[in-house]
This record gives sequence, C-alpha cells and structure tokens, in this order.
Amino acid sequence: MLPRLKRFADVLVGEKREGKALLRRALKRMLADQQRYQWGTPLDRWAFTEIYRLWLGELRDHADPLRQVKPTDADFERLFRWDEDSNFDALTASFLGHLPPQQRSTLLLVYGEGFDHEDAGRVLDSSPDTIQARLIRACASLADRLGSSAQAPASPTIETLYPAKATGQP
Amino acid sequence: MTELSDELLVAYVDGQLAPEQARGVDKVLAQDGVIAQRVEALKLAHGRLECAFEAILAGEVGEIMATTPTMPLPVARPRGNGLVKIGVATVVTGLVLFALVAGYGWPLGQQPAAVAPPVPLSKRVEMEPPSWQEEVLRAQALLSRASVEVGLESQDNFDLVAFQLAQAIGPAVKLPKLQAQGLKFMRAQLLRFDGKPLAQMLYLGAERAPLALYAMRGGGKTGPLFRREGAIGSVSWKDDGIAYLLAGEEDEATLLRLAEKIKHEPAATEPAPPRKLSDVSSGAESIGPGAADPMITGSNPTVPSPSAD
Repeated sequence: MLPRLKRFADVLVGEKREGKALLRRALKRMLADQQRYQWGTPLDRWAFTEIYRLWLGELRDHADPLRQVKPTDADFERLFRWDEDSNFDALTASFLGHLPPQQRSTLLLVYGEGFDHEDAGRVLDSSPDTIQARLIRACASLADRLGSSAQAPASPTIETLYPAKATGQP
Repeated sequence: MTELSDELLVAYVDGQLAPEQARGVDKVLAQDGVIAQRVEALKLAHGRLECAFEAILAGEVGEIMATTPTMPLPVARPRGNGLVKIGVATVVTGLVLFALVAGYGWPLGQQPAAVAPPVPLSKRVEMEPPSWQEEVLRAQALLSRASVEVGLESQDNFDLVAFQLAQAIGPAVKLPKLQAQGLKFMRAQLLRFDGKPLAQMLYLGAERAPLALYAMRGGGKTGPLFRREGAIGSVSWKDDGIAYLLAGEEDEATLLRLAEKIKHEPAATEPAPPRKLSDVSSGAESIGPGAADPMITGSNPTVPSPSAD
C-alpha cells in the first residue's frame, strides 16, 4: 500500500520531494490519531482521505496559497517510470502536470486506483457529481489533444471547456 | 449526425451506463462514424491515463524498493478467537501505520517534523465515532437463530444450557460456576461469528456491568492475554480446542484470576442429551455439575450433585 499512498501524495503535490514530505507528515498524524480510525473502514480509503485532508489544510493555512511555488514540467515528469517497451508519453504527462491538483487526484483515484465515484468523492470531500464532472472535463480535453497532438502543448485552458455548464469545480 | 454529449460518452467509456443505455449508445456508434471516432478518442484518453498512473506507481515501487531495507513479511499466525480479532482491530491499525512509517523511515530523519494540526472539514468522512446504529448493526451480526430458539425459562436449567453449549461448541467447553467469586450465572446464548457458533455466558455480580465469557472453537493452547478497550478489560486464552474471551469492567488482576479459575473448571458436560426436555426444563432432575446450586440453575434440585463445588 505504501507505493500507492506515495503515488497519491506525489500526484497531489505534483513532484516527488514535497510528495514524500506530505506522506511522511500524514503517516505521522495518522499514527498519532489512530483512535479516529473507524473499524471496518478500508485502510487505504482512510489513508488517502487523511493525506488529502492534510494537504488541503496546509493549503488553507498558507498565507498566500496563490503564490506557492508550482512544480515544473520536469518535476512532474520525474514521477513517471516508463518501461523500456513503452515510449514516454510526454503529451499525457504534460497534460496531467498542468491540471489542478484536485482534478489530477480525481483521475488517479478513479482511473489509477479503480475507485467508484462515491469512494473518490469521500476521499476528496466532493460529491459524486463533482467527480463525474472532473472526469468528463479531463477525458474530453485529453481526447481533443490526442486528436490534434501536433498542436501546442497542454495548458490549463481545460477548465474553460464547458463554460456554460459552470460546474464550479476546479 | 446524432448529438451525444461528452458526459454520456465518457460515462459509456468508463462503463458507468446502465446496460440498456450502453446498448443504445452501441446502436448510435454503429450508425454514426463521427460519434464512433469521438468514443475511440475518449477510450484512447482513458487508456493513456491508466498507463500514466501505472508508470507513476512503477516509479514509486522501484524507488521504495531501492532505498529502503526489505520490510519483514507479516508472520502468518494461526486463526484465533474472532472476538479477539475484533478487539485488537484498532491495535492492528496502529501497527500497520507504524509499519508504514517504519518502512518509510528514510524521510523521517531528513526533514524536520512539522505535523500540521488536525484539519476541520465541513464534512467528516467515515472518521466520526461510530453511531449507535453502527454499533448495533455489528452486534446484530452476531445473532443467529440459535440465539433465540431457547426460551428464557430454559436458562433456569443449567444442564440444558451446558448440553446445548457442548453440542454447539464442543464437549470440552466450560460453563464455569463463579458464585464463590461473587458472580451469579444469569444466562447463556449462542451467537455466531464468521458463520461459526459463538457461546456467550453472562454472569452478574453485586455491582458493575455483567461479566461475559465467550467461547468458540479454536485450536491450540495459549496462555491468558489481557487487553483493555476503554472501560472493558478482557482476557483471552485457548484450551482444549476452545478459544475463550472473558470480558467485563474489571481490573486486570481480577480478570486474570477469574480466567485461571475457569481454566481449572471441568468441562460443562458430556454431549449426552437430557432425558426429556420437559423434565429438564423444570429443573426437577438435573444431572450436570451445577445441578445442586440454586444460585446457578435457578432451580430447586432435590438430589445434590456430587460434582458441585
């Protein structure tokens, strides 16, 4: 389970070093507050939730969250290890790297971890509809980019694909 | 050209549609090349995302394997008393977390520990203390038909209770007499755990909550192990193929002393059927070890049992 938790922290933060530190703090807090664990709750769900809560809490506590240093493309690409048989998927990596953390985490929980929308929503403190909206926006945007991969690299304009629907979620 | 939204098509690709809806989309795809092309693009995106996350996981596994000493595999332990398993769930959780931190100890020494305060979220997800409904549901799961098939009046007959427990749990099961310790046998019932019968024997002292002795089939022989969960203390042990758990609001010394007393008790009874249910339930001719003890049986036997305390 440790690699899965580390992947979640890394994807949430967007780079390895800070992801490692986030996971370390989250594990220590879980160990200190283990009495809050409810028997019967899958341990991985609880751990993902705690990591996300910690990350969100620290973001909220930050004096100026908008001025936090964002990870670079190179930082994010270092998260991947591609097999020798498979080529590095720069387009998808760049696409993921430019998504907001909440949206990136949503994709990870559903497509990487296989969570259903309800479980992913519990972890990310969001409704299943929000999870669904994030998946639709991301998949549609990536499909567009894959269909025209010769165009410019990915950018955060993904969030404006459905301006009329205004789901209100990042 | 048919108009199908990306919402619908993504749900289709993700397998979120009902079978009937999916069949409807299939029909459209067979007739509309543009929509089919869009679905293929969405499938490709879905596949690329899955591969990307697998590639990240591969990186994490490789990094952790390369930088941490191999963690010892958990030792396979023989299956024990199910009640003990419930009781130590929290401890196990802590141990797992500790193992995670220990296995991931390399960043602990490198960076200052800056533990953030607990984060109040508007909606606490699954982390609240269990409600009474959740606790009751767990208790309900322990009930079986056998729990209620014996009427309360049958509890007056120690022999019938002992016979039923011996049949369900095994001939070696103990139905101890603890009146010398100030505990009166009140009643017993059969519960279930993991599909197996679980006996609950309840005793009441002059004060405090009832003391419960649980018994379940379980191999091996282990010494008494004390645990405390809140106000409830417990001692578990295995003897003669039976796993026991003694639980109550008592201190450690008292529970260990009671457990030792129970361990030296004779088996409840041989699994021979009582003569007639009507005779036995009346308590007129009790045949078991507690037959002569009105405190235990609630009956008024006329013939003292030689095996009574």
